[in-house]
Amino acid sequence: MARVSLSNVTKRYEDVVAVDEMNLDIKDGEFVCFVGPSGCGKSTTMETIAGLTKPSEGTIRIGETDVTKLPPKDRGVSMVFQNIALFPHMDVYENISFGLRLRKYDQDEIDRRVDNASEIVQLEGMLDREPNELSGGQQQRVAIARAIVRNPDVFLMDEPLANLDAKLRVHMRTELQRLHKQLDTTIIYVTHDQAEAMTMSDRIAVLNAGQLQQIDPPLVCYNEPANLFVAGFIGSPSMNFTDGELVDGGLTTEHYDIEFDTTELGISPGDEITAGVRPEDIYLTRNEDEVDSPSEVIEATTDVLEPMGDEIFVYLSLDGTSGSSMTSDEAAGASNQLLMSVDPDTEIDEDESVSIVLDRSKIHLFDTASGDALAHGIVDLSEAERTRAAAESRGQHE
Amino acid sequence: MATTTEQRSDSEDAEDGVIAQWTKGVIGDDEKRARLYRALFYVACGFFLVTTLFPFYWLLVLALTPNSQILTGDWSLPVIGIEFPHPQGFNPQAFVEVFQQIPFHLYVFNSFVLATVTTIIVLLVASLAGYVFGRLDFPGKGPLMLGVLMVSYFPPAAFLIPLFDAFLGNAIVVPFLGIELFEPPRLVNTPGSMIMPFSALFLPLAIFILTTFYAQIPDGLEDAARVEGTTRLGALFRVIMPLSAPGVATAAVLTFIAVYNEYFFSSIMALENVPENWSPLVGGILSYQDQYTTDFNLMAAASIVGVIPILILVIVAQERIVSGLTAGGLKE
Repeated sequence: MARVSLSNVTKRYEDVVAVDEMNLDIKDGEFVCFVGPSGCGKSTTMETIAGLTKPSEGTIRIGETDVTKLPPKDRGVSMVFQNIALFPHMDVYENISFGLRLRKYDQDEIDRRVDNASEIVQLEGMLDREPNELSGGQQQRVAIARAIVRNPDVFLMDEPLANLDAKLRVHMRTELQRLHKQLDTTIIYVTHDQAEAMTMSDRIAVLNAGQLQQIDPPLVCYNEPANLFVAGFIGSPSMNFTDGELVDGGLTTEHYDIEFDTTELGISPGDEITAGVRPEDIYLTRNEDEVDSPSEVIEATTDVLEPMGDEIFVYLSLDGTSGSSMTSDEAAGASNQLLMSVDPDTEIDEDESVSIVLDRSKIHLFDTASGDALAHGIVDLSEAERTRAAAESRGQHE
Repeated sequence: MATTTEQRSDSEDAEDGVIAQWTKGVIGDDEKRARLYRALFYVACGFFLVTTLFPFYWLLVLALTPNSQILTGDWSLPVIGIEFPHPQGFNPQAFVEVFQQIPFHLYVFNSFVLATVTTIIVLLVASLAGYVFGRLDFPGKGPLMLGVLMVSYFPPAAFLIPLFDAFLGNAIVVPFLGIELFEPPRLVNTPGSMIMPFSALFLPLAIFILTTFYAQIPDGLEDAARVEGTTRLGALFRVIMPLSAPGVATAAVLTFIAVYNEYFFSSIMALENVPENWSPLVGGILSYQDQYTTDFNLMAAASIVGVIPILILVIVAQERIVSGLTAGGLKE
């Protein structure tokens, strides 16, 4: 068990920067997920931690040791690979004990540890099988047993569930969480599946283009995304974004305006900002009473409905045109479209004119140019004035 | 639709000749086609078996026939009258005489040692080179590989005279300038003078074979081995090489057989054709011939004896190749 810290780690290939000045501090026993789209540098970052790739710059520490120049075998890490990477010429026992045999443990110790590890991953009785006789899930469990048998300081998992079928993936997800609880070892987990990251990790590190965007507990990433990228990446379907402009006393976009107190934002009227709101924070006006601080009413036309069973995704068109052939993510990004989720028992039809409100406390504002978050939740202008008036009157009294 | 086709083919059958009818049958009828393919398979197999086994049969006939009969005998078959090699007399003593006349086992031993040592050197060096060429990226990789392959295009004769000169212990001199570089040890009549050129000549092919095999091993397996506790070299010998068993066996068998049969270099590097000078198998076989007589039966018997070690090796290696293939499933 150990903490892992990266400082200024950069990995440059001939013409691309795969990892750009990464600074990370992972606590002892923490389960951290690296998420990001393909090619964002999450696997490269993990490879530098494992020692399979040498960083161009920066230092990596595991525990108190600077491991930047150590070969993988001396770093006290073990790794589970996306392609499982069991040695096909060895049986399960030989696969699990490979690292122990290389380290010249005595036979009794090896047997004891292999038994223990195979018990944890429920592989008893399969030790003499060949890897190609096992199912995908069993192979993955052998790979995990091979990783835990050495009692490493840090577990690295590079999309270990990506090659499994959907049902098995969900099952292995809970098994991994149980394993983490049982072993209490630092786990760094790479995935492109944000659902995996949300459900398993203590903290999520969101990466894009080789740069760390945000590292926070899952719900913080969800509720208070640090920038446009994190807001769009975390959450499925993704957040709705509308480009607009900051005016005195609110935000104006092509299709709707929202009034609020702009003084706290630290930017001046005329600046371009992007408003983001998640599908579940959009309400029909007839359900307005569910919202504490509803925004101004926005008129829209329903386009396509996607009943999911537990909710219905409604594609709303703000200018009457239909955004046909768009995926939900594209629709959420288009400024004349909003994606709303409503209760499954809501009576709603396609091509119906509806009035909607947004939950003010869940509207996110981003600086369009830099992408940085400006505010999470905005306050009603009238309410703001009231509180300011109250504050002023209090000030006068004193 | 089907009936009309049948009717038409019936009426056409009547007009066609035998071959046309048979061709149609093969095209239309699955069973006839399967029969044809089976027949072709046996014909092709038979051809290859005859061409490879007939020389052995001939050797056996020569070995068992007393030498006087070989020179004067009548090779016509008893009834048919065509000339065809067949045993005349039965003289298995030739296989004993082979060892009595000269120490033939020493020649076999020489070739076996030369071939084994060369194979080990070639496999070791070619594995390292194959790993570098197959699994690493570095500038100049293509030209370097081409350069290595070009060595194998050189006629070995081109190296012979300078090597002989050097192995005699003469100083290496820079051409035209006359500067003496160093004086190599006198290596003629020692295994070194043969193993070195053999290794150099057979390395390119082995490197080429192993490069293609090592390149196919998934990166994940090597990474896994390195994280588990091997160095890159350890991963090569513990994971990559065992998984490339078919390629390693192929390179080994090719090298071994080529060196075992080699006579061109060794006949010159061994100054006299005696086993003490590391003269090889072929040298031994040729020593049954002197200025006036040639013991064809002994030469044939010696050739058969010489084949036996190779036979054992190939059978063993084949086992390995097959086991390597079945244990494979090199899916990641």
